Amino acid sequence: MKRLAVVFVAALLAVPLAHASERHPTQAELEGEVMCPVCGTTLDQSSSPAAQQIKRVIAKGIAAGQTKSEIEDRLVAEYGQAILAAPPRHGFGLLAWWLPIAGIVVAAVVVGLGAWRWSRAREPAPRPAQLDPALEHRLDDELRRFEA
Amino acid sequence: MARPARLTAQALALAVVVGLLVLLVWRVVHDDNNGISQALSAGRHPTAPAFDLKRLDGRGTIDLASLRGKKPLVLDFWASWCVPCIHESKRLEAARKRYGDRVAFIGVDTKDFSDDARHWQREHGISYPSVHDGNGKVLAKWGGLPIPKIFFVARSGKVVGELVVEEDLPRYLRQIAES
Repeated sequence: MKRLAVVFVAALLAVPLAHASERHPTQAELEGEVMCPVCGTTLDQSSSPAAQQIKRVIAKGIAAGQTKSEIEDRLVAEYGQAILAAPPRHGFGLLAWWLPIAGIVVAAVVVGLGAWRWSRAREPAPRPAQLDPALEHRLDDELRRFEA
Repeated sequence: MARPARLTAQALALAVVVGLLVLLVWRVVHDDNNGISQALSAGRHPTAPAFDLKRLDGRGTIDLASLRGKKPLVLDFWASWCVPCIHESKRLEAARKRYGDRVAFIGVDTKDFSDDARHWQREHGISYPSVHDGNGKVLAKWGGLPIPKIFFVARSGKVVGELVVEEDLPRYLRQIAES
């Protein structure tokens, strides 16, 4: 119950943070989410002239008070969808978001089912063999003599 | 596990492996290294891949296929962030004054911000028209980075060559002008 409450509070806190990030994006944040078109890395890892050019465009957008979506939309209009490091959360791009989650769920179900079947299929431990009553009696006598 | 269920699971696993293999082969076949540049290096002269892109100056589009059979052309791949492109584009601008009536000069501004590209053209006095290839898909078909890349296309649409040595510019221009 406590864990559920923590998750709920964290989710409540995350919403205004995401909203603030959308309205007032930072240069560092966008540089980590936008690709350099000629180097195959995000902008924050590149100092190539092409990356510098996009960094300037982002800085101008932030200075002009544009939202994160407005800046990203402008970049996508110029360079195409591939300029964003993360795939879009609609259409075909949704696959990239949901496929890993689906994979984890399927793997968990398969492992769970396998474990359940394995635990059911195990043979019960063999019961110890019963001694012949005469032999048991003789053994007890021997033990008593040994201890005396 | 029951036999039919096991067979189904095995078939599914096999299908996934085959699917991944097909994906790998497709990726290798459609690799960006299979461009015009690489074909020319291998001694082939393919037909220029068509494109229909918006002009930087906002005056509609340029459809490369529509020029086939009408005029030979010089195709200049450039970007405003590309320092060596300044020198090459200026040379083409000068050549245009001599060959402009017989040869079409077209720039392809690639992986670039169009506002910067327009400013760059004005700043360096480049007057031949350019189209905007923001995502670089057209550049990939012609061989990809690095730029500048300059190609010479005969009137028939066949790519005659790529400028590798600066001194070859007059020879290529004469060759396509006479095609």
